[in-house]
Amino acid sequence: MRSTIRVLSLLALLALLIPACAAPATEVPAEAPAEAPAEAPAEAPAEAEPIKLTIWWWGEQEAPGAEAWLNETMALYTEANPNITFEAVLQSTDTLIPAFQSAAAAKEGPDIQYFWGGVWTIENAWTDAIIPVDDLIPADEWDHYLNVFERQYDGKTWGVPWYMSGNPVVFNPELFTQAGLDPNAPPATWDELLVACDKLRAVDVVPIAGGVKDGWFGGWLFSILARQPHDSEKAFMQASVGQASYTEPKFTEWWGRLQELKDRGCWNEDIGSLDYQQGQDLFVTGKAAMLFGNDTFLAGWAETMGWDKIGLMLTPQYGSGELADDYIVTAQGWGITSWSDYPQEAADFLVFMHTPDRVNAWFEATGVLPADDRLDTSLITQPQLQQVYEWDTTRGGPNLENFIPSMMDEQANFAGVQLLFAGDATREELGQLTEDVNAKWREQNPDAAANFENWIE
Amino acid sequence: MQYRKHEPWLYLAPALVMLLAVFGYPVVRLIILSLQRPQGGVPIFVGLGNYQLLFRDDVFLQAVSNNLKLLLTVPVTVGLALVLAVFLFERIKGWRLYRMTLFLPYLLPIAAVGLVFSYIFQLSGVLNDFLNAVGAGALAQDWLGSTSLALPTVMFVIIWKEVGFGVVLFLARLMSVEEELFDAARVDGANWWQLQRHVTVPQLATVIEFFTVISIITVLSWVFGYVFVMTSGGPGNATMVTELYVYLMGFRYNQMNLAAAVSVLLLLVTGVFIFLELRLRERSDLGLAS
Repeated sequence: MRSTIRVLSLLALLALLIPACAAPATEVPAEAPAEAPAEAPAEAPAEAEPIKLTIWWWGEQEAPGAEAWLNETMALYTEANPNITFEAVLQSTDTLIPAFQSAAAAKEGPDIQYFWGGVWTIENAWTDAIIPVDDLIPADEWDHYLNVFERQYDGKTWGVPWYMSGNPVVFNPELFTQAGLDPNAPPATWDELLVACDKLRAVDVVPIAGGVKDGWFGGWLFSILARQPHDSEKAFMQASVGQASYTEPKFTEWWGRLQELKDRGCWNEDIGSLDYQQGQDLFVTGKAAMLFGNDTFLAGWAETMGWDKIGLMLTPQYGSGELADDYIVTAQGWGITSWSDYPQEAADFLVFMHTPDRVNAWFEATGVLPADDRLDTSLITQPQLQQVYEWDTTRGGPNLENFIPSMMDEQANFAGVQLLFAGDATREELGQLTEDVNAKWREQNPDAAANFENWIE
Repeated sequence: MQYRKHEPWLYLAPALVMLLAVFGYPVVRLIILSLQRPQGGVPIFVGLGNYQLLFRDDVFLQAVSNNLKLLLTVPVTVGLALVLAVFLFERIKGWRLYRMTLFLPYLLPIAAVGLVFSYIFQLSGVLNDFLNAVGAGALAQDWLGSTSLALPTVMFVIIWKEVGFGVVLFLARLMSVEEELFDAARVDGANWWQLQRHVTVPQLATVIEFFTVISIITVLSWVFGYVFVMTSGGPGNATMVTELYVYLMGFRYNQMNLAAAVSVLLLLVTGVFIFLELRLRERSDLGLAS
């Protein structure tokens, strides 16, 4: 009898608890009819399931103002879609990739993740960490997005571009004039660059600023200089999978050119003991005349040194490949994770980021060009940024760092450039180093090598 | 009786379960991961294949070699800490201030220390400016940009930071030694050197052993911070260490299985020294008890 009473009490308790524990979503419709018109229940945002989209991102570092823009964009979106809220986590440069890889291993983390272009995005498709977004975004939207090719693999698109990040050579017209160089006709060929170095040295100005201690600039130099004898990024992808050799002269020439710049005294002497940022500061503080820079920083530098001290040029040419005279540009962007419960909602938000109002607001907030051709170009008033926009849209070329294995970037480009500036390796040795690193990468990671081969096709 | 025999395990069970969950499970997972490799996106068992790959990787071998070179900091750190502790024990004027000053670096975060020394050791940094100013410009070097100097420079910083801990350990032990021992030696005519050799060092023996083992573990598996902040492993892998190699393999090159294999090796080597340290502590406790 006693046990029967216990069982009945337990059942009664459960009967009370179950409705109390029900999800809030089931409660909303019960109240909704009184407030929402019966004809349009689907449109009534208050009735929709509450959704929280988590965004892990990076970008404030190279496009100051991005955070304010993103906060405003999320607020506007929530205003229009009250059931959708956001949690945005700004990652540091060093945690961006590790944090996402940990999340991918656990299949738990953001719904929307920031990615650099090319392999930085595609390798996450290979590990099923992100999903293709072609079907989630209206076809006519894609016509407006720039640099989409960086995120395409296996006939699908694995992300949405956000803003453009290009690599001009930035120079200080005042220092050029001081050295007897014409700021209106900056060096266009390699020989002219070497002459410019001599003239700048003669007036005690550091010709080109750099810092390679943290490695990153080594990758930039590879992308900026190694391209010139080649016609396509595929040449490097083929060499990485063993279909060509990095010891061939057309692949080692850039090491020789870099050595030439070093021997000619073009760089700051302390390049080996400075980080990239510290090298960049030499230019911004007026101590160096040129910088292999990034156009996302232009507006910020102008605040410090003024637009009148910023001139732009393409990398002086030494090669005759189709990549020799292009403007290196990549689109930083977004991907949607495979574990997200709300892929369509995430995609809708990415589309919202590309509405003309948001695209224009982006440019006004950051001074950085959006990866969308709907930007109102009348907003671009600075001639330097007009120049960048023209280069972006007429002669944009791939950032090679996005099309090679990250091991090659780190162990051959980063390390090789450091060795070159330390005086410890020759052009041939560095070509061999690159070849060896790629052979090792293929041996250690045959799956990735096979994926790279598919990517080339 | 049977019940009593198992009773302690019953009480220990919650803690054991917690320990297994927190430490045991990750270690087992790590070992399993180190024996697998993805093939067609699916992890397959490859036995010791990952370990074989590691020993063919010149960057890994360089990292191991650098860790071994870093072991050279251990005798220097221990010796320096010993000398400084002895001087402070002599109660030289202002010894309390010196003790605090020496211990201060140990309290500072490694990232902050690395950052400050990065600036000091730049080619155009404070040290070279100073050398130039005092007419010793010939000694100015590219401390962090040179492949031959970068590792010794990092070693210097490790010693600078770690020595304070040794000083405090040694000093604490010396202060607990009965003064009569020193007095007796002096009465017997021992000079300063003999006093240190026959009284101070024997009294410090167990603490020296402890600090030595701790320092070895530090340079084998706790130097990531120094290297990451000061050199990022460069120039050209000249300061690559196994911890940084694990980080790069796992998080930059997306090769978790190889990263796991290095971690297992690191765990084994460090485990040997941890075991050694525990044995020493056991011996020390026994010594004290007797």
